[in-house]
Amino acid sequence: MQRAKTIDRPVLARLTFPPLSMLKEERWLIGSHILVALLALFPGILMGPFQAFSRSPGFVAMFPEWEIPVFSFYYQALTVHGVMNALFFTVLFIVGHAYFVMQRSLQRPLWKPGLAWLAFVVMIAGLLATAYAIMIEGRSSVLYTFYTPLTAQPWFYLGLTLLIVGTWMAATNLFMTYAGWKRDNPGKRCPLAVFGVMSNFLMWCFATTSVALLMFSMLIPASFGWIEKTDPQLARILFWFFGHPLVYFWLFPAYISWYTMLPAQAGGRLFSQLLGRVAFLMLAIFSLPVGVHHLLADPGISQVAKFVHTVLTFVVIVPSLLTAFNIGAALERAGRQHGATRRLDWLWKQDWKNPVVTAQIGGLFMFIFGGFSGMIHASFTLNIALHNTSWVPAHFHMTLASAVMLTYIGMLYWFVPLLRGRVLWSRTAALAQVATWVGGMILFGHGMGAAGVGGVIRRTDLANAPYFGDETALAFQKASVWLNTTAIGGGLLLISVILLYTNLVGTLFFSRKPLTENQVPISTEGDTRLPLWLENWWMWLGVMIILAAMAWGPLLVDEEILFNAPITGPTGLPMR
Amino acid sequence: MHIDKLERFWMLAIAVVIGSLSAVLLVTAFLFEVRLPTPYEQFDPAEIEETEFAEPGVRHMGGNKYHVHVLAQTWFFTPDEIRIPRGAEVTFFVTSKDVTHGFFIEEHNVNLMLLPGHVARITTHFQKPGTYKILCHEYCGSGHHTMVADLIVEAPSDSDSDEEK
Repeated sequence: MQRAKTIDRPVLARLTFPPLSMLKEERWLIGSHILVALLALFPGILMGPFQAFSRSPGFVAMFPEWEIPVFSFYYQALTVHGVMNALFFTVLFIVGHAYFVMQRSLQRPLWKPGLAWLAFVVMIAGLLATAYAIMIEGRSSVLYTFYTPLTAQPWFYLGLTLLIVGTWMAATNLFMTYAGWKRDNPGKRCPLAVFGVMSNFLMWCFATTSVALLMFSMLIPASFGWIEKTDPQLARILFWFFGHPLVYFWLFPAYISWYTMLPAQAGGRLFSQLLGRVAFLMLAIFSLPVGVHHLLADPGISQVAKFVHTVLTFVVIVPSLLTAFNIGAALERAGRQHGATRRLDWLWKQDWKNPVVTAQIGGLFMFIFGGFSGMIHASFTLNIALHNTSWVPAHFHMTLASAVMLTYIGMLYWFVPLLRGRVLWSRTAALAQVATWVGGMILFGHGMGAAGVGGVIRRTDLANAPYFGDETALAFQKASVWLNTTAIGGGLLLISVILLYTNLVGTLFFSRKPLTENQVPISTEGDTRLPLWLENWWMWLGVMIILAAMAWGPLLVDEEILFNAPITGPTGLPMR
Repeated sequence: MHIDKLERFWMLAIAVVIGSLSAVLLVTAFLFEVRLPTPYEQFDPAEIEETEFAEPGVRHMGGNKYHVHVLAQTWFFTPDEIRIPRGAEVTFFVTSKDVTHGFFIEEHNVNLMLLPGHVARITTHFQKPGTYKILCHEYCGSGHHTMVADLIVEAPSDSDSDEEK
């Protein structure tokens, strides 16, 4: 029975992908994900520099009448920035990228293309609902962490829930595509990129259960008025159970690109296939028992749990350090191909004229600062000096907004040309974009970090704070020079954003030269020397569940679940 | 499963670094008595009038010890001015009446999240006289940035003239 079924399957299932264009099967679906992701990003990314300007005493002194355009209410702009950049852009991009990797690496169509479109429609509905709640309805300025009892309008939560449901549908499609490939290719090892996608979506599906629980048990009923009280501490626990895996969900496509594409794009070869897989698995598994490092200042969580999660956070640094070696070695090989002969000259003898490579190396470079700044404020003892200061956004602008985003940009510089079948509109503009991004983010990150050490708090409308122009507020005045350098960084980043979007729109509509150079190295083979149990996903899911239960279970014991905080609207007034 | 010699060396280095960082953390936490908030007291926020937060403020506990109860709500702290003599051992008990707030004293290691129903507690000393801002560092609605209080650390000479509670 089973045998008869498998006989004709390979004939149906194989696709041959042209290296310099996309098949009909991928162009519309993947193109839609990438382009809608970029549309969602646009309002969000613009708000970033504007907030940096509005927090700078120097800028405000120069332009006292200036306001953030469109969203002049600071916290609305901040909500747009967080929700659009970190949630909608990333998720849509990651799902589109996962479809691409899966189809090309396994050389077969998705399990159910119709389901992929349905998932897309669900996510778009989510995007529209949340965007409406934040930008038009306007009473949803609760930031992208939406901590209850501050409560937004129902569309805000419904939209985010739809986004998550869409990713579950996408994950089902990816898992079934993999299972089909596995059935047709018994005993084969999947390509490393597919291994990364599988690790990422397995982690994601498990981690999102807690945020779904949060949505359905508290946030949605509260915003509709079906319940009047919530439990803020439990909500924060549920949020950060999901919150740290979310961070790695963003990071995974960047890792996949660094491991499976960058070595070939830069002209080298990956050092170790095995440790690539180990890094992916560690990243997925150890993202789960570390989330309390976001809650080190919370009153309802014991010091013991806080210490345990800090130490486990150090474990999750291991895959990043393994990556530093593996990718570093690949880049050394690439550098030697480009004429490097001395010990360290491979560091600068790279293919800097290729924006695909330059952007990714820029991302890797920024990840050094991102990693170390994260180790510092995730530490049990140091967090107390930095928690909720602008050090925290400094950190995730080195990771998410630099390492991840620059790598995504590097990918966009081949994705969009491949979609269109034309070369990138302007290489020079792309290189200038990468340079201004790196420079801008260094100024921004250093400024925010230094201001944070000086005691400037994060996500606060400083321009309207009573101490902003107060000469007697000595600590703030001392730190405010760094807010000015932050604004200069913001200015560079604004230029970078304009260059990025102009170039991508130019590639779509005005680029005339057909694509001739293959910038998209796809490996369709897995290393046959690797043990097959590495791909035992049920086992890894079991490990995740056990580790998560051990790390988070004790927290619930500490918690006298109260459910007694009355909900409040962002204006500070009771909701009803 | 082949792992290159260089890479093995690197993995060993990683293990050593991570191990020593964890050890340093443990040692410094004990050595410098770094204490993070830990579950202390929980109550129903509706019954806040029956707790010590009905009358927030500074209480002299005898000797060099002070207890300070602070109540946070949108968008102010009660009391909004706290006077403490230099060098005293001060324990803060802080909670929120409504949404999530923060309690951050600039230039000092006081950094708490405030949640309704939970009492956040921390003990510290203030060695340098001066006026320090207490800031709410968690977004708590449209007036969040106006949520500021003052902590005044008084040198012994001028605290004599003030009446002590």
